[in-house]
Amino acid sequence: MATNKRGVAGWLDPLHLNIERWAYVFQRVTGLAVLAYVLGHIGDTSFFVGGPFGEGPSPSSWSSDLSVTENAFGHVVLVMVVLVVVYHGINGIRLILSEYGMIFAKPSRPDYPYKAKSLRTVQKHLIWVAIIAAILAALYTGGTLFG
Amino acid sequence: MQLQYGTAILAIGLVTVHLLMQGVLVPYGEAVSFQRVLSVYRDAVDGALLEVLLVVVLAHGFNGLRIILLEWRQSARWTRGVNWAVLLVTLVAISYGTRTVILAATGQVS
Repeated sequence: MATNKRGVAGWLDPLHLNIERWAYVFQRVTGLAVLAYVLGHIGDTSFFVGGPFGEGPSPSSWSSDLSVTENAFGHVVLVMVVLVVVYHGINGIRLILSEYGMIFAKPSRPDYPYKAKSLRTVQKHLIWVAIIAAILAALYTGGTLFG
Repeated sequence: MQLQYGTAILAIGLVTVHLLMQGVLVPYGEAVSFQRVLSVYRDAVDGALLEVLLVVVLAHGFNGLRIILLEWRQSARWTRGVNWAVLLVTLVAISYGTRTVILAATGQVS
C-alpha cells in the first residue's frame, strides 16, 4: 500500500477533481454502510431461532421480528442496501482488474489536452456501469417491495 | 490486499445468489416466510451457502474496516492493536451468526 500521510482525512480533500477519486471515497463509505447493515442483519436473522437466548426455530419470534423490519422504513433501508451493495460490487470488480493493470492503456507521451490516456479506457466506463446498475437494481427492488 | 480481493470475488458470487434467492427467483414475501426460511436452513447446500456467505462477507467487511483504520493512523502499536481487535470482533460475529445457522438447521421447532 502506498504511504498515505493524511490518512482518512485525505478522503475529504476538496480537490477531488477526477471521478476515480470520488469512486474511491464512495467505495469506502458504501463498504462501511454494508458492514453496518450486515451486522444488523446477523442480529435480526438470529430472531429466527428466538434471538440471543433462543434455542431453535420459533415462528412467534420470527413473526415479531418481521413486524419490526417489514414496513415502509424497513423496505426503504433494503432498497438503499441494494443500491450500495451493487455499486460496491461492480466498482470492486473494476478495482481488482485495475490493480492488475488489465483495464488501462499503456502510458504514452502527454499531448494536448493532457488527460492521462492510460485512464481513458473501459475502466472509466465501469464506474458509470456501477452507478447505473446500482440505480436499476434499486428501482427493481423498490418495485418488488412497494409495487 | 490479497485477502481483500479473494474474499471480494467470493462475496460477489455469494451475495448475487443470496439476492436472487431473496426476491428475484423466489418472491420476497415467500422468501421471508417461516416455512421457506426453515427449509433453506435445513437444506444441506442452501444452509452451507448461508454459512459460507456469513464467513466471507464478515472477513471482507472487517478486513476492509481494518484497512481504513490502519490508514487513519500509523504506528506499530496501533497496527498491532487494530489487528487483534478486528480479529476478535470478526470471530465473535462469525460465532454468533454460526450459532443461528446451527440452531436453525438442527434445533427443535417451538
